[in-house]
Order: sequence, then C-alpha cells, then structure tokens
Amino acid sequence: MSAVGPPGLDVVDRSISLTKAGDRSDLLQRLAHTRRRLLDPTVRVLVVGEFKQGKSLLINALVDAPVCPVDDDIATALPTEISYAKTPIASLVRGMDDASDPETTRVEVPIDELARHVSEAGNPANRQNLLRAEVGIPRQILADGLVLVDTTGVGGLSSVHTASTLAALPTADAVLLVSDASQEYSEPEIDFLRQAMKLCPNVACVLSKIDLYPHWRRIAELDRVHLAGANVEADLLPVSSTLRLHAKRAEDNQLDDESGFPPLVRYLRNAVSQADRLSRRSVAHDVFTVTDHLAVSLRAELQAQCNPEGGTVLRAELEAAVSRAENLQRRTARWQQTLSDGMTDLTADIEFDLRDRMRQVVRTGEAALDEADPHAIWEQFTEWLGQQLAAATSDNFVWANQRAQSIAQQVAVHFAEDGGELLPELRLGDTPSTLDAVPELAAPHADDPKLVGKLLTGLRGSYGGAVMFGMLTMLVGATSIFNPVALVGGLVLGSKTLRDDKHSRLKRHQAEAQMLLRRQIDDVTFHVGKECRDRLRQVQRLLRDHFSEVATELQRSLTESIQAAEKAAHTEDSQRQQRINWLKAELAQIDAVRQDARALLAAPGKRS
Amino acid sequence: MNASTRAAPSLSAAVRAVLRRATEVYRDSPTTASQLRDQIDRLDEPLRVAVAGKVKAGKSTLLNALVGEQIAPTDAGECTQIVTWYRDAASPRVTLTPRTGLPRQLPLIRTDGRLEFDLRGSTPEEVERLLVDWPSRSLRTTTLIDTPGIASLSTQISARSIALLAPDDRPSDADAVIYLMRHLHASDVRFLESFHDQAAAPAAVVNTIAVLSRADEIGAGRLDAMVSARQVARRYRGEPKVRRLCQTVVAVAGLLAQTARTLRQAEFSALRELAEGSRSELDALLLSADRFVAAQAHPTLPAQTRSALVERFGLFGLRLATNLIRQGHREPAGLTEELVRRSGLDELRTVLATQFTERRDVLKARSALLLVDRTLREQPRVETQELAGEVERILAGAHEFRELRLLAELRAPDLGLSADARSDAERLLGGHGAAMPNRLGLEPDADSGALREAVTAALARWQRRAESPLSDRAAADRARVVVRSCEGMLARLSRDQVSS
Repeated sequence: MSAVGPPGLDVVDRSISLTKAGDRSDLLQRLAHTRRRLLDPTVRVLVVGEFKQGKSLLINALVDAPVCPVDDDIATALPTEISYAKTPIASLVRGMDDASDPETTRVEVPIDELARHVSEAGNPANRQNLLRAEVGIPRQILADGLVLVDTTGVGGLSSVHTASTLAALPTADAVLLVSDASQEYSEPEIDFLRQAMKLCPNVACVLSKIDLYPHWRRIAELDRVHLAGANVEADLLPVSSTLRLHAKRAEDNQLDDESGFPPLVRYLRNAVSQADRLSRRSVAHDVFTVTDHLAVSLRAELQAQCNPEGGTVLRAELEAAVSRAENLQRRTARWQQTLSDGMTDLTADIEFDLRDRMRQVVRTGEAALDEADPHAIWEQFTEWLGQQLAAATSDNFVWANQRAQSIAQQVAVHFAEDGGELLPELRLGDTPSTLDAVPELAAPHADDPKLVGKLLTGLRGSYGGAVMFGMLTMLVGATSIFNPVALVGGLVLGSKTLRDDKHSRLKRHQAEAQMLLRRQIDDVTFHVGKECRDRLRQVQRLLRDHFSEVATELQRSLTESIQAAEKAAHTEDSQRQQRINWLKAELAQIDAVRQDARALLAAPGKRS
Repeated sequence: MNASTRAAPSLSAAVRAVLRRATEVYRDSPTTASQLRDQIDRLDEPLRVAVAGKVKAGKSTLLNALVGEQIAPTDAGECTQIVTWYRDAASPRVTLTPRTGLPRQLPLIRTDGRLEFDLRGSTPEEVERLLVDWPSRSLRTTTLIDTPGIASLSTQISARSIALLAPDDRPSDADAVIYLMRHLHASDVRFLESFHDQAAAPAAVVNTIAVLSRADEIGAGRLDAMVSARQVARRYRGEPKVRRLCQTVVAVAGLLAQTARTLRQAEFSALRELAEGSRSELDALLLSADRFVAAQAHPTLPAQTRSALVERFGLFGLRLATNLIRQGHREPAGLTEELVRRSGLDELRTVLATQFTERRDVLKARSALLLVDRTLREQPRVETQELAGEVERILAGAHEFRELRLLAELRAPDLGLSADARSDAERLLGGHGAAMPNRLGLEPDADSGALREAVTAALARWQRRAESPLSDRAAADRARVVVRSCEGMLARLSRDQVSS
C-alpha cells in the first residue's frame, strides 16, 4: 500500500483532472464522491453476544486500552463505537426521541468520564437516554478504517436488545458473536446466529475466556458440531482477552500466541481488506464509467476527423442514440415502471405483513388476558408485549430490507438492458458493476453521507431505537394509567367480597386491559407503518435519482459527441492532423487511467 | 431444631386424615389410590428438593457438594440427561424406571468415585427416572433430585425437567427447588414463573431458593471473585422481579465446594508443593489452564497430576487454595473448612436448613393437599364434596399456609406498607427461617427470657396495627396474620416452660 493515500486515489485524481479538461461538471461530482469515500473508509464490526461473555474485555484487548468499562456484574448499558483518531476523544450521541427527526446531537465528554455514561452502574438501564457512545483512539489496528461496536448483552432471544441488535446488522461489515468457553452453545445463541447470517454473511464466532476453562477444546469441538448442525458456516476463534492483555504488558509473543488473538486480528484484517476490495471495485467502476463518458465524444470526433465523408452516417447513429437516452429519462421507461410498480407492491406487502404480525400479537395477548387477572400479570404482560412488538417489527424490517434490495437489482437490470446496447463502449450492460451503486442502500460506506447516511440512520432508528423506545415509554405510561384502577380493584377484591361481584369486576378489568392492548397496537402499527412507508419512499427516490442521473450523463455525453463530430466537419485540413494527434493523445491518457483502474481490480487483496 | 416451629401436629394430622379418606374413596381406581398412598408415605419421608437450572449451570456439581461425595456424574459437555433421584438408604443401589415397563436394577459402577450409569440398552429417552440409593448423612433429611438443564439444545431434555418441576397433569414431584443460574437470564425468569403457575399453590415462592452458581467465574477466577459474586447476589436479592420468584439468592462456587468436601491427601500434598515454589513462578503458572497443564511447566509435579488438579479445583480453586496454604493453612482439615466456607456452601446449607428443612412438614403438607385437590377436581364423585370442602378449609384456614401466602404477598411491590414494617412482618412470618430465634431476629442460642420479651414486643406492635382505625381492611387482615404468628410463638414458649 502506498504511504501517500489509499490505493486508487491516484487513479481517481487523474480521472478528475481529465474530467476537468473535458469540462464535465456532472461527472466531476461523481468522482468527488468516490474520492471522499476512498479517503474515509469505514469497516463496521459488531461485537454481539449474551451478557457476561466478555464482549467489552475482548474489545479492550483488541485495542489494548480500557475503552469499554468491564465489571463482574452486568456492565454495558450503551453501545459504544470505537474508531481511529489521532488523539483520544469520546462523545455521546443523544436523540431520536422523535422518529421523524433522525438528526442526532453529539456531546463531547472527557474520555475518563465515559464509564459514567456507558456502564450499567453509572447509567442503569440507560436512564440518560443516550443512543450510543463514540470513542476515538490512536491505534494501529483501527487505522485502516476498522470500527468496533460494543453492544449491550442480549438476554434471551426475543428481548428488545436482540431486536435492535438485529436491526443494526445490515449496516455491519462483519459480526463477532462472543460466547465463553464455560459451556457449549445454547439454543438462543444458535437461533441468533442463524438470523444474523441472513443479515450479514460475514460472521465469526469467538470462544472467549479460554484461560479459565481447561476443557475449552472440548467446548470448541462441541460448538463446531452445533454450528454444522445449524448450517452456519462461520469460523470459530478461541481467545483469551486476559492473556492478550498480559502478553501486551509483558511483550511476550508466546503468550500472545496462546491468547488466540493473532488469528482474530487476521480475521479482522481480512474483513477490512474484503471491504477494501469492494471499495476498489466500486472505484474502478466509477473510473470506467467516467472515462467512458469522456471517451465517447473524443472518439466520435476522432472518427469524424479521420473520415469526414462518413459524417452523416455517424450523425444519424448518434442522434438515434440520443433519442433513446432521452427515452430512458421518461416516466414510461421500463426501469421507471419496474421501480414504481415494485415499490407500490412492496409497500402494500410490507404493510400487510406488519398488520398480520400485529394481529397475531393482539390475538395471543387477548387470549392471555382472558385467562388471567390483568392486575396480577400486568408487569409480565407488558414485558411480553414489548418483546413481541420488537420481534414483529424487526422481522418486518428484515423482510422489507431484503425485498427492497431485490427490487433495486431488478431496476438496475432493466436499466442496463434498455440502455446497454445504446453505446456498447459504455458497458451499461455490465450489470454487476452497475449494481455497485445499489448495495449502498443496505451497507453504507458513507458514499453520500447526507443522503444514504440519513436514510440508514433513519432505518436503524425507526426499527431499533426511536419507535421501539417510544413504544416502550407508551407502555410504561399505560401501566401507570392502569395501575390505580387495578390497585383499587385489588383492594376491593378482598377475600370477603361476593364471588359474583369479584367475577364481574375481573371481567371488566380484562375488557379494559384488552382495549388498552388493542389501542396500543393500533398506535404502534400506525407509527411503524408510517415510518416504513416513508423509508421505502426514500429508497424509491434514491434509486430514481441515481438512475436518472446516469441517464442524464448518458444523454449529455451523446449530445456532446454530436457537437464534436459537427465541429470536426468544419476543421481546416491543415489543422486536422494536429487535432487527430491531440485526440489520440487524450484517448491514450484515458486508456492509461483505465489500465490502472483495471489493475486496481486485479490487485491482490490479502486473501481472496 | 428444638425451638423450631415445626408444623403443629394438627396440620400434619389433618392432611394425613384427608389423604386416608381420599384413598378410601378412590380404592376402586388403582392408579389414583396408589398415588394417594404414596403421598401418605411421602409425609414420613425426607423432603424432596430438586436441583434445577439451565444447561451447564453446575447442577450435578452442586449436588455433589451438598452430599459431600462425588457421586453424580459431571462433564464439560451437557451431561445429565435423565432425572436422577439421590436418596439415603442402607446400601447403595441404582434403579431404573422406564417410561413403559417395570423398574429394574442397574449395575453399580464407580470410576474415580463417580457413578456411571450403564442403561443396559435403554436410550435416555426411554427412561423415566433413575433412583440412586446411597448411604449418606447429608441425604437423611432431604432427597435430592438432579435434573437435566433447561434451554438445552436438545429440546427433549429440557422438556423432561419442566415435566418434573411443573407438570401439567399432576402436582410437582418435588417439594422444593434449588434453582441454579449463572446470571439472571430471561429464560431463567420464564422458567421460575412456570413453576409458580400452579393455581391452588399457596405461595410457591417459599419453596424456591436461587443459587448464583459457578460464582467464581463471575469474577473471572480472581482471588476476590467471591466478593464480587456475593455483591451480585445481593443486588438480585433486592430486585423486585427476583423477590417475587424466590426466597433468596446465594452465591456458591460449586466446583470448589465439591472438591473441598472431597479433598484427598494426595491433592493436599500437591497443593503444598505448588505453594512452596516462588510466588511469581506460581502466578505465571496459573495464568491460564493451558499453561498450568503444559508438559514441563513445573519442576516436580508431573503434568498428569496438574491436569487432574485443575480439573478438580478450577483455576480459582487453585489460586485460592495455594494462597490459603501460604497464609498458614497447613493441615488438610483446616484447608477444607476454609475452602468450604469461602465457596459459599456453608451459607447455602444454612439457608436450606432455615428455609426448607425447618419448614418441611408444611411443604410436604402443601404437596399432599395439591394432589388431593387435583384428584378431586379431575375425578369428582358424589362422596367427594365433603372432602373437597375439608381440603379447601385446610388450604385457606391453616395458619401455616396463611403465613406462606402473606409472605409471598409481602414480596409484591406497592403494598402500602413501609419498608420497615414489611421486613418486620417478613421476619416474624418466618421469611428468614422458621425457627423462633430467626423469626425474632435473635441469636440461635437466645434464652427463653429474651425470646419472650421479643415476642411480646412484636405482638403489641402488630396488635396496634391490626386494631388501628387508620388501617384499611386488607392491611388489618394482614396484621392479624402476623399477630397470630406471634401468639403461636408465645404459646409455644409457655408450653416449653411448663414441660421443663
């Protein structure tokens, strides 16, 4: 890797100067994005697992600094993102009480005060209502853009924590599932793994605390059997954070090997280089596209200069192409149809799915309330309800996300098919590279921080955070509304009251509780449904803008080609040869840039 | 035990009478009648305590620690797959009860002291339970039941434990439950709730004790790990959710307790040898289990011995034991005592004695009445109506049950009682142990004068509360139950005085 900047920066810069020479501000904008993305690559690795498995200590050992508070009792109350910074810095992110406003506020705090906000002891059950903490430290391992995310432990599969962890998975480049060597995988862990694999294919299993358990090899073996049984293809990495920290302190390489960390670090490096390969691919793709556009008019002019007689044929060809490019921009274009139909269907399906799931919850909830005294079970009931709602919304989200991606792919295919034959050199038909624009919807590589970032924070927020949180507080509110009634009821329902009276009171309480349940679910369905529609509409707009822009660029390139060819017809003979030479030189430069871009693709990552 | 409030003979007698009458009524239905007859026998047998918990919570290990012998098989993987009963008997014997067919005896195989069950061709799925007869003083007052873990990847195995502890079709086989957990997990809460669902059960909370097992691992095996673990246990005790589900929470390092109670001379010598080396070398050796068992890691102790040691003690046990030897515990007996104390086992045994053993007659009576109640409801007959009335009268009226019910009620939030009054009531009702000194918050050896003084004061306190015009009816009712408990103690004190 060059010391100056990330690989590809040079190619991009050369493309930029070529584009400037060609006076194409529209293409310039795209390259500016590419450049920004290249300079700020992030690779998010989520560290998840049940509580008390040693997630925070694992991160501390990885970065060799006490960034996450560690305690014998449950410690982590808040997700923490650890990334590279030249000097240590910590900040707290707050906000998203209102789901419609994904803007967040960020407050910087002294790094040694961080524990007061992140730990369960300082901030029990996240009473400070923070979204997450962000820590920047100067560590080599983070320098390539690795971001480690410490999550709060999940307790049981259907808890609210699990739902928000799942919702965050599509934004992650890799996931480390931490489970300690005291026992083999339990059912909830395997279930979680199975779900996680669907959302983020790059999952590794970390077997922690191997210093403490003499039988860790047996456990690792059993775990591998469980993984195979569940069809989960993931590496199992046995590690000991304690040994790693000792090794770093004592600078003892052998101990470091025993800690099992070197393979873990390799795994993370690999994740980084994989993301790096992806980003190189999209850099190369951007360079190809831009240079294609530049080359079109140059080549048209060159052809016209070399063969002035064939001008009319060339012109006719080009004009036909322009009109087809114009067609691509029309509302009636096939890709436009695919997009709007697909999104309409998807919105309807997702809404139906949400309603259906909610109806199930209502049905089960009402049945439960029918059989018991609402006062006696209310606390359990609200907790159960919270879990059910979280599960329903997160499943709905996973599904919406998958479907939106497949629509995006379809649109890309149709766009490429209709536009591809226009100018073969434009390689619009190169579907995979066109698709590079699409995955950004799901996995943000900070391409366009404003648009994509907002969209995704919104997605994450609406399903994992804000709506869930709003819902929970609503539930808490409901409890306090309900309690006085129930309390009075409880006192009246003393042993001496007549049985009938008791019975009718119970019925009334049950009816009240069921009404509360229905109203609650109505509210949640309404809010989540609205969120969902809004997000999908944003996805639609994003896709439409992206492809329209491509079509506009296409049209502009073609129009400029016509002008260039026309100009060629009027060139003086004396200057013709000079012009031809200049055009050839220009095209050669473009070719050189493309050559280098191709080298980017071929350049070996650390491993394939 | 002499000063304990064993259930007044009247309750046991009444329950026995009810059972006899029920047996009479159902004599033409062999299964029901034999169930009821078993229940009569059960009244005279030791209390049945089940050891339950999630997979790998350390159930078998804790059971071994309680018995003081390494009888239940333990392993790094999921191990116990069959419900196994350990009962005191004159001679050792293992009996297998299949799901269908007659019970049969299994050969008694012990390797390294551990029992090995050779199922003789049966698969675990076909076995209802194993019954191990074992001569042991520790089993004399309680029969211990080892259960397969819940939330196990083998769903069938989980189901078997739930069937034992919270069966759908009959009252639970266990009178009381020790629930092991490593940290309070959502599935623990669900499970605890599931065996409190029994409709007629008066105050199931009194028959459950939660144990924070493998407590040494909470503090990552550091020397002060148990201090941390006790703090966590204390936090759980204060949590309303946990209070509602169990009597108390105790932290125990099961492996250490088991090993300490079965410490061998050879192991002690090996520990001494370790402790005599240099401190920094030992620390480096105990850095990880792998290091400790590595081939040339120690000059004199062979790797095999070290590997056996870490198996038996765990890293925490080794760190603690060698440290204690250095501090002057130079005799095996003294070391055992100290290790048992540090492991938290003593605390657990005290809790078991005060919560279960002293209340065993009430707990057994409760199990018996639940069975009769269920039988009557499921197979009603003309002549059972009167009997049903009798069962309800005992369940609702017996003071012992009212105490239990109120105890459970006190654990629910928002009762409108001050914290002081609540803990006072809890103590007087036997929440910290049913023996009289426990109820009065006095030392176990308090003399009768001190006891009488304390009872009189408590009685006056609660009589005031019961009669106060400011108390609403529910509060007054509650206060009257406490008053009744105090009167019972006073009466017993007078009786004891007369008899002496």
